[in-house]
Amino acid sequence: METKTQSKIECRNISKVFIQKGTQRVHVLEDVSVDVKPNEFVVILGPGQSGKSTLLRIIAGLETPTTGTVTLDGKEVTGPGPDRGLVFQSYMLFPWKTVLGNVELGPSLRGLPKKERRETAQHYINLVGLQKFEKHYPHQLSGGMKQRVGIARAYANNPEVMLLDEPFGQLDAQTRYFMEKETARIWETERRTVLFVTNNIEEAVYLGDRIISLQGKLPGRMHASYEVNLPRPREQTEMKFLQLRQQITDASELVL
Amino acid sequence: MTTAATGTSSIANEIQLEVRDRKPFSLKALLKNRWFLYTVSLTLFFGLWKYVDYTRVLGNGIAPPEKVVVAIWRLMTDTVAGKSLWGHTWASLNRILIGFAIASAIAVPLGILMALNRYVNAVVKPIFDLIKPMPPFAWISCAILWFGIGEPSKIFIIIIGTFVPCLLNAYMGIRLIEPQLYDVIRMLGGNRRDEILQVGFPAAFPAIFAGLQISLSIAWTCVLSAELVSARSGLGFIIIQGMQLARPDLVLAGMVVLAFWAWATTLIVTYLEKYLCPWKRETSLA
Repeated sequence: METKTQSKIECRNISKVFIQKGTQRVHVLEDVSVDVKPNEFVVILGPGQSGKSTLLRIIAGLETPTTGTVTLDGKEVTGPGPDRGLVFQSYMLFPWKTVLGNVELGPSLRGLPKKERRETAQHYINLVGLQKFEKHYPHQLSGGMKQRVGIARAYANNPEVMLLDEPFGQLDAQTRYFMEKETARIWETERRTVLFVTNNIEEAVYLGDRIISLQGKLPGRMHASYEVNLPRPREQTEMKFLQLRQQITDASELVL
Repeated sequence: MTTAATGTSSIANEIQLEVRDRKPFSLKALLKNRWFLYTVSLTLFFGLWKYVDYTRVLGNGIAPPEKVVVAIWRLMTDTVAGKSLWGHTWASLNRILIGFAIASAIAVPLGILMALNRYVNAVVKPIFDLIKPMPPFAWISCAILWFGIGEPSKIFIIIIGTFVPCLLNAYMGIRLIEPQLYDVIRMLGGNRRDEILQVGFPAAFPAIFAGLQISLSIAWTCVLSAELVSARSGLGFIIIQGMQLARPDLVLAGMVVLAFWAWATTLIVTYLEKYLCPWKRETSLA
């Protein structure tokens, strides 16, 4: 059964070298291959400076790999597009647009009629729990609420794949726990293929069907892959949860 | 935070914040009072002014504050060189509006274009960098040689003076946009046109407005210097008249009226910005 399902995303031998100031070469990724199945929640785990965000930006089409290819549904990715929804670490909401305006952005760029795009936007605003905040501007929202808008905006364009780049990296610990719970809930309601980048092992175990960990120094290489077979909703204090978390922690320390 | 309401249990925490005793009068509190200090400051200023007038260290070169008030009052009712105060104010304001409108209508689009297109930038920037450091008043002689002593030369000075900040702010406004905002548009399926319309313009708007605000205050400096050199009307003309008639009250009255209008027009632009950029409203007020 598993072998028959075609991969949603296929990254084949991705390497990335940035050229800085004309001559300086920075080798960020080396021979990374990732397969993501449809509706799978895959977490890319790695410490700072392990190239994980670059990998996500390559899949998003915002960077081109130096070698290797990315395919989505068997078609090669050559640039950014609405079939992938990206959630940014620093939110990247448009401060001149209200919550509704931000979430509507994708549908309006695709030229949907006003009524339809409003309904879509409203649906996802409700999904992330921001009803009654439609008319607020981003600067009136807390960090957690801003990222809810970010998630709703990406969802509202109805992408096949959701790419989240350390989405909760700027939140305090409590809000972070809550947002992880919310992410799991949202994903249960609106299934998508998800690639989630994080440096937080606990977050990875809590959210992922599968965790791919990158080696802790540049160039980023695949280090290990973990299947997380814990039932959802998960509990951070469960025995099995803690065991897996410890296992990944121990393995990561060997590399660092 | 927990000053009042002693003896109550912790349940009353919310109420404790509201209960605040009125402090008894004390000299220490008075010296820290903002309004008291404002009064002291202004009293000192006008007192010093009166004193300088009284001791005549500046001879007949200064008029006391009350005479300036009288002079402003007379200006409103009488005429100077055939024009009332409103006529002179309008003469200055008219020059500013024309010059400011022409300069911003050219400079803002040019600045945006320079930021968006590197070829335009490569052609315009060297010329602009050459003109940029030149003080606008250096152009007064040229302006009179080219356009005579009439209105066009004064408007020309205002255009020269306001052009630079208008262009520079529009250019930097576009240039300093967070590049990831463009990524948002591209990920959502937008093209280059969407990037400029949805991100470029709105994101640069506050910077463009800051440029307009700076330009406006420069415009007042420009119109004044142009009028000081040669004019038959305008607030600068009133000041020059006061000097030539050896009437310091008229000079100071002209300066006060000028300051008022410079302040008032800047205020209009500030409020226009708040109206047009509602997303900045809460952050830039206060």
